[in-house]
Amino acid sequence: MSAPAVAPEDRDDLVDREVVLRFLLSAAFWLVFAPTIGVILSIKFNYYDFLGDIRWLTWGRLRPVHVMGVVFGAFSTAILGLTYYMVPRLCGVRMYREEWSRFVLWFWNIGLTAALISLPLGYNLGIEAGEFPIWANVLIELALILVTIQVLGTIFRRREPRIYVTLWYLTAAYIWTVFNYAFGHFILPYSMPGINNAAMHGLYIHYIVGLWITPAGLAVIYYFLPLSARRPLYSHKLSLIGFWSLAFFYPFVGTHHYIYSPIPYWTQTIAIVASMMLIIPVWTVIQNFYGTMVGNWKRFQESYTAKFLVVGAFYYLLGCFQGSTEALRGVQRLTHFTDFVIAHSHLTVFGTFILWVTAGMYFVIPRLSGHELYSRRLAQWHYWLTVAGFSVMAVVLTVQGLIQGTMLQVGADFVDSMAAMKPYWLARTLAGVTMDIGAMVGMWNLYMTVVRGRRIEAPANAPVGTVAEPQWT
Amino acid sequence: MENEEGHDHDPSEITRYEPSGIDERHGAVPAWLTAVYVALVIWMVYYLIRFWTDKG
Repeated sequence: MSAPAVAPEDRDDLVDREVVLRFLLSAAFWLVFAPTIGVILSIKFNYYDFLGDIRWLTWGRLRPVHVMGVVFGAFSTAILGLTYYMVPRLCGVRMYREEWSRFVLWFWNIGLTAALISLPLGYNLGIEAGEFPIWANVLIELALILVTIQVLGTIFRRREPRIYVTLWYLTAAYIWTVFNYAFGHFILPYSMPGINNAAMHGLYIHYIVGLWITPAGLAVIYYFLPLSARRPLYSHKLSLIGFWSLAFFYPFVGTHHYIYSPIPYWTQTIAIVASMMLIIPVWTVIQNFYGTMVGNWKRFQESYTAKFLVVGAFYYLLGCFQGSTEALRGVQRLTHFTDFVIAHSHLTVFGTFILWVTAGMYFVIPRLSGHELYSRRLAQWHYWLTVAGFSVMAVVLTVQGLIQGTMLQVGADFVDSMAAMKPYWLARTLAGVTMDIGAMVGMWNLYMTVVRGRRIEAPANAPVGTVAEPQWT
Repeated sequence: MENEEGHDHDPSEITRYEPSGIDERHGAVPAWLTAVYVALVIWMVYYLIRFWTDKG
């Protein structure tokens, strides 16, 4: 066990502790709820009539609850909480219009709850990743506008003259998403019929991934990796290349969902090229992350923040390489309409971004609650159940996709290609249950850290003016 | 790239973001990564020209 560390001074006095903790604890709830729905859905692959006679628990109604629950519930709620932690500390001032944060907290969670209850009841706008009904969208959009103004206002009033890479990504993510969310929920469902709607939907859905989840997730790892590794970030220069190449190439990626469709051929070609060119930002940031860890890999053993960040970065490399190459026409022909696509989405959204925000929660919750992590053993279980369950799921889904695609290419009957999937679907469910138990254990541990954790105590020989750092984070 | 005094940055130069306590090296781009950038740009030009229209 390492000696308790001390930090030079406490800058958490800039942070609205209550708001951040409430956001992160509500994220903890969504982090258990949304994957549990995924487990129920995966059971339906094995037992197709499971819960099938209850209308609001049928596949079509629950599937968007799982997807939107993970994207906007688990991931985005955590990002909002971490934003209110990172931005004041990076700017050296308290959040602009701090009193708005409570409105954002309630608008966001009430909007989300209303939306996720409405979907099983059958209120659905019918746009993939844009299913939320209008009354929820108004609240969610309002929350996004308020937090964007707060982030920009805080940056304009900052005391730190330089803008760290986390702030570039956060600023971009919020500005892009305020417009993209409005586009996907207020414009797309009501206008542009036919193929134009499909083309625009391709842009919208990939802007959720590429212009919200990706930059917000990268903001988190850029912030917490140097702090948890206790090392300088490897390269400012690579940060610049990673950010601008993502901003340049990602907007053209969306149409790769519609390769071989009636959308103009050259548009598809641009989407394919842009998808492959995303290897530049991905490999650049990966070099930056692993370069930062070099020289202090000991922290990978000691810190749960570092553990989740580093493992998430590994899945990021795999998932993004999968995503880039599956846009190629030859690979698309093999993998489209198969579980290969689902493997990619799970590797990126869960394997990468959910793990990164989880890492952020392990860092922030003990510090803001003033308590040591409740149980190192539970954290250990959380980590290993997540890694074991998720690694099996990623491999199983990828293999499934390749088998399905190959069978269909050689002319096998569609029903036969489904029947061949039975053992894989069972493995996927067991992997999902493992991950879900891991998430429950982890979120319980974080909740108990707030309510029952032991107070953080500075070592006896700590210099005056320093503050104690919690262990294992 | 030049620093605030107008001198070239030393790749090992460290900047501290005071309020957050984050340190950052100016850093450099490794040669292998530069090779990846060049290869991808060449492939991009080829692919755009070759597949701009469906040649059947």
